[in-house]
Amino acid sequence: MKGSFLWRNRVILTGGALIVFSLYLMTAGVGHGDRIAAPTRGILEVLRPVQSAAASFSEGVRSVYRDYINLVHVRQENERLVAELARVRADRARMAELEEENRHLSELLELREALGVDAIAANVIGSDATGLSHTLILGQGTASGLGPGMAVLSNEGVVGRIIAASPHASRVLLIDDHNSALDGFDQRSRARGIVAGMVDDGIIMKYVDRSQDIKPHDTIVTSGLDGIFPRGLLVGTVSSVHREGPGLFLNVQLAPAVNFRQLEQVLVVRQQAPQVTADRKG
Amino acid sequence: MRLSILFALLALLALAIETAVPYWFPLRVLVPNLIVILAVDLGLRHHGALPALLAFLMGYATDAFAGTTLGLNAMLVTIVYLVAYAISSRLMVTTAFVGAVTVFFGVMLTTVGGMALSSGWAAVSASGPMVTRFAEQAAVSAVASPLIFALLGALKRLTGLPVGSTRE
Repeated sequence: MKGSFLWRNRVILTGGALIVFSLYLMTAGVGHGDRIAAPTRGILEVLRPVQSAAASFSEGVRSVYRDYINLVHVRQENERLVAELARVRADRARMAELEEENRHLSELLELREALGVDAIAANVIGSDATGLSHTLILGQGTASGLGPGMAVLSNEGVVGRIIAASPHASRVLLIDDHNSALDGFDQRSRARGIVAGMVDDGIIMKYVDRSQDIKPHDTIVTSGLDGIFPRGLLVGTVSSVHREGPGLFLNVQLAPAVNFRQLEQVLVVRQQAPQVTADRKG
Repeated sequence: MRLSILFALLALLALAIETAVPYWFPLRVLVPNLIVILAVDLGLRHHGALPALLAFLMGYATDAFAGTTLGLNAMLVTIVYLVAYAISSRLMVTTAFVGAVTVFFGVMLTTVGGMALSSGWAAVSASGPMVTRFAEQAAVSAVASPLIFALLGALKRLTGLPVGSTRE
């Protein structure tokens, strides 16, 4: 049997027969609904649970994928909104800053109008490089008409005077610097003295006669006699008066009216008015 | 008998994969033609009437899920089996490379041949991109075939079937 023609060619013969059978299926127009195609329906049925499971699995995978994509979109949207919020916050802070700056400038404008002098507003752009002196740097200079010796004010009171100026910057010596001095007087008792800075911060009023009536909380204003600061500008208030000890003069400690560390805009008096009549507080 | 059960189960698994994967893997071309690979393995390593019948049945099962012409894949897969058998009969050894080449041409035969038989040769001539996709799938199948042959060998060893060429 094994040596026979049929056995030796059983693969070819079987294959050939199956191909012929396939051709019959194809050419006879056998449909999937015919009886002879019943096995295919059986195969469909056998694989249905597997395919259902596979479809569920693939749907799950696609769902997870969609969720992931949505999550990515949500994350991107979140990042966009966070950036938007940061921008809005920055805008709001900038607006608040502009509002504050506007308020300062308005106050300076009011001060200028009240003083009746030629003055311009200037921005504070820096402070003393070493900290040994009490100076500020302004963003305007000779190009804006600023020059050495000009008085620098704020809406709170006297700031100092310009000691140096370049075309677009100026340096201001604050009144609490130990090299600074201005003529002032007690608004209540009219006692005069020289307001000067101290090395260890703070300002004092020097050369006040021991007989003068000067008390704590008295207001000290500029006299205008130094030719730099207009008369009646607030310098500070008396914080303490020491009468004990030897000497001709009182030891008067002042609290400056201006917080020099928080200055942002100042008013520079370019030309002093001949006379400021009213004493001005702030 | 063990060979029939093994290949029946593998054919069902292959059909399940080939019908399910396109649901969640849009690049159908990257899914190897597992039925053809199984048929090539049968043709290269199992010579007899039963393997030929198994190849036919795998093609017939494919007809349950593919196309409208019953018998088309049955015939084509049977031809693939016969070609693989013929190659195996004329070579001293059937390496993985021979198997991969056979798979490549087997996939081309079943796809291009199936298209030509169902839609006419003119359709094949007019559809260059489709033939290119068939060639790509054939290449993917050929590349994947050594791994699948190795897995089949492992399964055969596991079930006590001969791994090399046998006459049944």
